[in-house]
Amino acid sequence: MQEFEFNEEELKAESEQLQQIRYLTKENAVFARTEGGFVSLEYDGKKYDRVGVYRMFPISDPEHYISIREADEKAKEIGMIVDLEKMPKDTAEMLREQLRLRYFTPQIEKIMDIKDEYGYAYFHVLTNFGACRFTIHMGGDSVVSLSDSRVMLTDLDGNRFEIPDIYRLTVGERKKLDLFI
Amino acid sequence: MELKYALDEEQKAALGLKETEKIAYAVPFDLVHEQGTEKSWLVVTGDRLIVMERENASEAWKCRQWFLADFQEVKCEHQVHCGIVTVRRNGQWELVCRFSMRHITRISYVARGADLIAKGEPGTVQSHEYERYCPRCGRAMPGTSKCPHCDGKRVMLRKFWDLCQGYQWKLLAISLLMVVSSLMSIGMPLVQQRFIDNVLVDKSGDMQDVVAFILTLLGMTVILISVNALRDWWCSKLGAMISLSLRRRLYNKIQLLSMSFINKRKPGALMNRVASDTRQIRQFMEEVFGGMVSTLVTMAGALIFMLILSWKMTLYSTVLIVAVFALTKIFWHHIHKIFHMQWIKDDKMRSGLQDVISGMRVVKAFGREQYETERFAGLTDEFARVQKKNEVFWAIFYPILTFIMGIGSYVAIYFGGLDVLDGTMTTGELVQFVTYTGFLYGPLGWMTHLPRSVMQMFTSLNRIYDVLDEEPEIQNIEDPKEFRIHGDIRFDDISFGYNSYEPVLEHMTLDVKQGEMIGLVGASGTGKSTLINLIMRLFDVDRGMISIDGVNIKDISKESLHGQIGVVLQETFLFSGSILNNIRFARPDASMEEIIRAAKAANAHDFICKTPDGYNTYVGEHGYNLSGGERQRIAIARAILNDPRLLILDEATSALDTESEYLIQQALERLTAGRTTFAIAHRLSTLRNADRIVVIDGHHIAEVGSHNELLERKGIYYGLVQAQLEMAKIAE
Repeated sequence: MQEFEFNEEELKAESEQLQQIRYLTKENAVFARTEGGFVSLEYDGKKYDRVGVYRMFPISDPEHYISIREADEKAKEIGMIVDLEKMPKDTAEMLREQLRLRYFTPQIEKIMDIKDEYGYAYFHVLTNFGACRFTIHMGGDSVVSLSDSRVMLTDLDGNRFEIPDIYRLTVGERKKLDLFI
Repeated sequence: MELKYALDEEQKAALGLKETEKIAYAVPFDLVHEQGTEKSWLVVTGDRLIVMERENASEAWKCRQWFLADFQEVKCEHQVHCGIVTVRRNGQWELVCRFSMRHITRISYVARGADLIAKGEPGTVQSHEYERYCPRCGRAMPGTSKCPHCDGKRVMLRKFWDLCQGYQWKLLAISLLMVVSSLMSIGMPLVQQRFIDNVLVDKSGDMQDVVAFILTLLGMTVILISVNALRDWWCSKLGAMISLSLRRRLYNKIQLLSMSFINKRKPGALMNRVASDTRQIRQFMEEVFGGMVSTLVTMAGALIFMLILSWKMTLYSTVLIVAVFALTKIFWHHIHKIFHMQWIKDDKMRSGLQDVISGMRVVKAFGREQYETERFAGLTDEFARVQKKNEVFWAIFYPILTFIMGIGSYVAIYFGGLDVLDGTMTTGELVQFVTYTGFLYGPLGWMTHLPRSVMQMFTSLNRIYDVLDEEPEIQNIEDPKEFRIHGDIRFDDISFGYNSYEPVLEHMTLDVKQGEMIGLVGASGTGKSTLINLIMRLFDVDRGMISIDGVNIKDISKESLHGQIGVVLQETFLFSGSILNNIRFARPDASMEEIIRAAKAANAHDFICKTPDGYNTYVGEHGYNLSGGERQRIAIARAILNDPRLLILDEATSALDTESEYLIQQALERLTAGRTTFAIAHRLSTLRNADRIVVIDGHHIAEVGSHNELLERKGIYYGLVQAQLEMAKIAE
């Protein structure tokens, strides 16, 4: 049975701890690859067998402000990395691997065809992950403009697709997109 | 959803199955390592977990395998817009495979299935969810089990015919009217031709002939108009009748279906099926069905007469029909597109406006009026620009389209005119021919919409029959038991999850004696309400058994069970109607004395008497405004009146002020006396009368015991009590 002692001091300390910003740097944190394909961490005298690597600004600033969290369901924050570039090369690389594992947003490079039929639009596109077909709901929030040129699409399954710059598409491709933006 | 796809021989060979080894699950997934979207497979057998991959179709399958017996746990973890399967082996987590959101639901089930095998637990997981895409044509399924394009069409045509059963005579009469209407339309040019050739051209007729012609034409027109009016009227009536009966059947079915069916769908989706899908059918009957047959018959008739008059001219004037049809289709498609865009801009402007107006306080408080004004100006400008462009397009191109639609007539006049000059055709015949050409070209615009209307009708019909064809999961067994419940309840190693891949309660065993009050405690989302849903048999357990007085709950008649359970929920739901009707909801035959006694026991009598209309006070939407405590007390009176053998209190006293809480506490004490009671409460003070308290944590029972026992044990419950005491201190 789990020991549970209610202690106001401890609760206060814990909430204080939540307030603090703890920076992980190459001096105080040691990351290592695990055999299972994840990353472990030694920090502040503690060893974590597996940590979660989260982006704080996945859309606007994916390379900075990386939150390192515990791997269980509560995902308590262990600390944050301000700039991946400032970490040792192999550490940055293994953390980027984890980010690529966690985040999946293919970028659309070319639009082959869009067919709309009875409330759904069927896309056939080329992404940086290869050719892809997906379906979105017409109307609703399937297509969101992040800026004048950047567009995010969400398909029926909940996959996300990004068009980083619609002006890099050809006029013909943009015309096909017209109905959605 | 399919969880066991058929593998081909090559794949089976690659798996290297032993003789006794059977495939339990086999599903595709798509992301290989970090890149690529080649289709790979995740296979679970009785012994192994296998990932089968290859770079391209010409290569042999490569397998990575694990033995399930080595695993402590198999999990499907949600990532950001993708998912991974991980396993825990020797205490270490390992990554197995990664996939996009398209496969995540399916793989969640399979991971749970593999987890069960690894832990040596019986049972396989099954998915009752519908496929999101048609396996045959790849189109998105509009929330139905069958694709309206593939297997749907023929089935739906039969269903549509079934719908019309009982209205055959009406249909026959409507068809007859349609034929009469078509005959009239085709006949009129014939009369004109006679008049022109025999009367006007010969100059042989007199006044009498002219009057007779006018009268004939007038008569035919009157008949045509009345027949069409009658046809449309009957079609509307038929549509209204069909949609009425559908709506009734749908509503009945929804009430019959188990909670699991209703939980799987959003309330809005079900409401849509009752309201807008039935309306769709009615609109189809009214607007499309009646016109469809007459127009097609008229077109066919016109074509036949044209061929009789001159096959050569028919050929000349219909050769363009395909081109005009295509042009019309493009035009309407474009119109649809640009006006859809206008609608989107309009929608954006509206929601922008709503945003600002409902958040006006915040805008003003932060002094952002200028920014918001500019933002809104941008939205309206955009809308105005699109609107202007669209209107200009419409104004220019619609007349052009009308001209193009008449192009067949020009061709007919040219060639016909030559023939008339040659003397091979009479003037009357030419006029007749040109009119028929109009019949042929006129409905083209309408015909481009036809497939869409028919498809929409099919989709709606599909969605409706999806509900109508569903079998309720929770049904009475044959010859169910009915008896007066004493109140002993036993949970015998039960496991349950709303989705079979996500367990909510696992291996729970608990004995409750008659008259006991059980307090249920635990963090939100741990399964307290789920346990109560199971007692009410809104869902059936996946494994194990719940028994009441030694009888399996599945053997008890649903009606008898529900008749003897009283429920007081946190959000008291009162139906629109009087207080009286709300109290006697479960027992409409209760006498007035009984109702008053129940209301007094619930501490509700006094406040009811103080309202102007007493027990007749109208409550519910737009009704008399009752406070939360008052509503709660009416709900308690309702439960008392029913004299339930089992009582369920789900957060019955949360969110009340102290005075009403005291009154309700009192009422509840009277109510629970001698009855087996399950009470969920966040405020632990409400549970001080409970005989035993059950703490649920991590899908299991973590602690059981009386208030004092649990405090002495200094476990989770003790912690919760301390925390609430501290909170109360801070609040003071």
